[in-house]
Amino acid sequence: MIYTLPALFATIGSILCFIGFRKKERTVSVFTSLLSLISSIFILFSKNYSSSYFYVDNLSKIFSLMIAIVYFGVVIFSIEYISNIKERFIKVYQYFMLLNIFVAAMFFSVILNNLGLIWVGIEATTFSSALLVAVENDFTALEAAWRYIIIVSVGLVISLIATLFLYSACDTLSIFKLLTIKPTGSLFLLGAILLIIGYGTKAGIFPMNTWLADAHGKSPAPVSAIFSAVLLPVSLYPIIRLFQINHNILLSEFAFILGFLSVATASIMSLNQTLYKRLFAYSSIENMGLALIGISLGSYALFGAIVLIFAHAFAKSGIFMLTGNILHNYKSKKIEDINGIIKTMPHTGLFLFFGSLAVTGAPPSAIFFGEFLILSKTIDLYGWLIGSILISFVGCGFLFINYKVINMVFSGQRKKAIKESNFTLVPIINITLSILTFISLPFLYRFLQGVIK
Amino acid sequence: MQHNVFILIGFIEIALSIFMQWQNYVSNNIKTFSIQSWILGIFLMYFGVLNNNISIIILSILTILTRAIFIPRYLINTINKQIFRARENKHKVSVSLSILISVLLAIFSYILYTLVFFEFGKSLISIPITLMLQGAFLIMSRSNAYAQLIGYLVMENSMFLLSFLFNGLPFIVEAGIILDILGIVMIGGILMKIRDEDIQKEEELYG
Amino acid sequence: MLFYLSIAQLLYVIILSPLAIGILNFFNERLSSRGGPSIFQEYYNLFKYFKKQSIYPESSSIFFAYVPYMSFAMYLFLTLVLPIITAFPLTFGPVVDFVGGGLVFGAASTLIKLSALDSRNNYSILGASRSSSIGIFTEPVILLIFIMLGVISGTNNPYVINNIMQTSTSWYYSLVHLFIALAFLFVLIIEIGQLPIESNSLNELGSIDTLLIHEYSGRELALLKWGSYIKQFILMNVFLNVYTWPFFVPMKLSLISIFFYMFINFFKIIILLIIFAFINSMVSKYRLFKIFDYIAIAFSFTLLAMLVFYITTSGG
Repeated sequence: MIYTLPALFATIGSILCFIGFRKKERTVSVFTSLLSLISSIFILFSKNYSSSYFYVDNLSKIFSLMIAIVYFGVVIFSIEYISNIKERFIKVYQYFMLLNIFVAAMFFSVILNNLGLIWVGIEATTFSSALLVAVENDFTALEAAWRYIIIVSVGLVISLIATLFLYSACDTLSIFKLLTIKPTGSLFLLGAILLIIGYGTKAGIFPMNTWLADAHGKSPAPVSAIFSAVLLPVSLYPIIRLFQINHNILLSEFAFILGFLSVATASIMSLNQTLYKRLFAYSSIENMGLALIGISLGSYALFGAIVLIFAHAFAKSGIFMLTGNILHNYKSKKIEDINGIIKTMPHTGLFLFFGSLAVTGAPPSAIFFGEFLILSKTIDLYGWLIGSILISFVGCGFLFINYKVINMVFSGQRKKAIKESNFTLVPIINITLSILTFISLPFLYRFLQGVIK
Repeated sequence: MQHNVFILIGFIEIALSIFMQWQNYVSNNIKTFSIQSWILGIFLMYFGVLNNNISIIILSILTILTRAIFIPRYLINTINKQIFRARENKHKVSVSLSILISVLLAIFSYILYTLVFFEFGKSLISIPITLMLQGAFLIMSRSNAYAQLIGYLVMENSMFLLSFLFNGLPFIVEAGIILDILGIVMIGGILMKIRDEDIQKEEELYG
Repeated sequence: MLFYLSIAQLLYVIILSPLAIGILNFFNERLSSRGGPSIFQEYYNLFKYFKKQSIYPESSSIFFAYVPYMSFAMYLFLTLVLPIITAFPLTFGPVVDFVGGGLVFGAASTLIKLSALDSRNNYSILGASRSSSIGIFTEPVILLIFIMLGVISGTNNPYVINNIMQTSTSWYYSLVHLFIALAFLFVLIIEIGQLPIESNSLNELGSIDTLLIHEYSGRELALLKWGSYIKQFILMNVFLNVYTWPFFVPMKLSLISIFFYMFINFFKIIILLIIFAFINSMVSKYRLFKIFDYIAIAFSFTLLAMLVFYITTSGG
């Protein structure tokens, strides 16, 4: 089975880190992540596949590729970063073991053919990643990890109920069969609404988004990167499938409202953030809200959402890794303590600036294109008034975040330059990739034609 | 007959979760949860034997092993290592109020049934919903990590009852759910050992 | 015939109620490994009070002197209307139903509270305020219990309820009945004055009933004490004969069965007293202000009973 290869490599990596290779966990992890990257690129060119357990179409391939790229980058960045944390909560081999099993669960979640098993996979990501949040080993980190585990688990119980309802409404949980029978009925609708709320919790969608900023703010940089970049989109994956199964008007409006409220809260909340990692966490909420809007609207807005998710993954993972660099050199998490990064760490500063522009949707980036598609479809469906309110919220987010980032990067006195670590290359490559995604849009569109109707 | 047994089980579970609201001592809560899971497991086994359904019997044995025996024992072991967490002194909501609220949740879920679920048949649906809301309320009204975890587990138990009313999930999914719960409890136990509860006003978690 | 049976019931209650309390005290002491008083100790106490002189506070009005007689008469009246040794109504049976009986109970306790206020003793006033603040919360529970029994039986008549419980196994084994009985047990424990705060004792935070009659002495004190014994005895009888164990109560007029039932009834009460004694010695006492948690539990049981009724009857 070629499709399970990335997940299998990650699992093997995790097992090897635990047994036998405790001293060489870094080498093992780099090796397995490279293998899974190669295999996921290979999957990209193989045929669609569906059996009783696996359902792989182009959407799954895109998600696999995204996970694999971010995974590879995060593993490489972790090599040095994890050594710099003093008084770790878990040992280094445990860190890599959990990271690998976490990624394996995500790989599995996007290729499974059963909504119940997808739930199992996504819940598995929760408990495998909870200890990663607490690596820094102070009371705040533990509290953040605890909030993460309890709020997300409660949210996922809701989506479990949803799964139960879907099963009793349609007598099957297989995505392939559900796509063919096109179920309707009130029990299905109720299940679908609960499904959106439940998985929305994990994706940081409005009513239960409180854990997200805590967990992203307190976890070490590579973990924040992989959370924001892939964990949130993977939680949106079942919702994408749901809208493929039945694009109902009521459901679509419900998801639109949730997404709209997430965008609104995130953009307003980002105004009074004093810690830069929390600032970017709110930016993630905003982007996920936009992606949910895109998913709910369907057709070309769905393409916009996927582009947004894809480009956001690279840009946001890059940004979070760069914040790790800043934290390491400035020893502070507050925005007001940081100034003149461009003088002290030229590469970090420059790419933090580019990355934040890309993430908030400045024109040359692919995220701009995604947002553009989503907003135009919104205006098309819901009229100018709602569209312009949404645009103004996105604009507010753009202004607040970039204002703070520019303050951090360009202001301040001249300081002595600090030698940047060689691993800064990883976030730089990631941010560059996200900008280069713009070029690949036509290919992406042709590739996703089966998914977007 | 099954109908009546279900009502009996459901209301015993509800009464037990009201009892949980009453308790200050976490170990009592854990024992109550264990009793709940025992009742649930025995009910499941009875149902499986009645219908000659092997997968349900296996599931009931798994339920008893994990939820009724292993998880409570694991939690009690962790709590014995840090005995100062065994009692929760300050409730966010006063005890009598929380008892009343959890009863009102039962009535609320009956109303919810009459408004939303009535077209799906049974009025019994309101029982698992009540349990679920009570579990959620236990999480919200306590700051003790153990109590919160117990609240989550009560929600999961109610999920079992709910799946009994509907078609029930496929066996492989149920097995996966049990594995996940084990994972959550283990990781939660590791975190709880060190977590401090009076950290609400920490600046880094504000906003 | 019914009239003589009424008198027999009256004498049964008046004579045996101090004995029941004496037995309870005896068990309580024995369970804490002490010798304990004789089970007839309460009779000696009453006898001693009757011999003593009565003294009234100067500040009190004439009302103060009459209250013991009035409340005692009310309790005696209640013994005539409740199913204690028969399951068919006696001469005075049709006078009041459950709600009416509850009102008479309430009237008696209100009179005692008023007399406590009238005595102008600080401690009595403290007792009055405590017992009314508890009563505010217990009485809605009792009312809800009556309403639920009314829902089951379609009436508030205790005799009819007893007959339904004796004959209909489907109601007897229903969850509704179980929850009502549990709630009534909780309320009964409060009214008997043992748990959760031991309101009959003399300790500082628990004493409520003893404070109310703080200023009485002599014959009035004896009547008040005896009245409270009768009240507790009646409540235990109601709990057993109506709520939990309605069997063997004679439903037809037959002197032999009534005669035997008198012994069976007292045997039931002794079992209940043993249970109370065990609860007393095993469960720790509550602080005064924790009693509301306890009442909340009783209240939640009655509400659950109502919910069960709706869920089971509204087409499952």
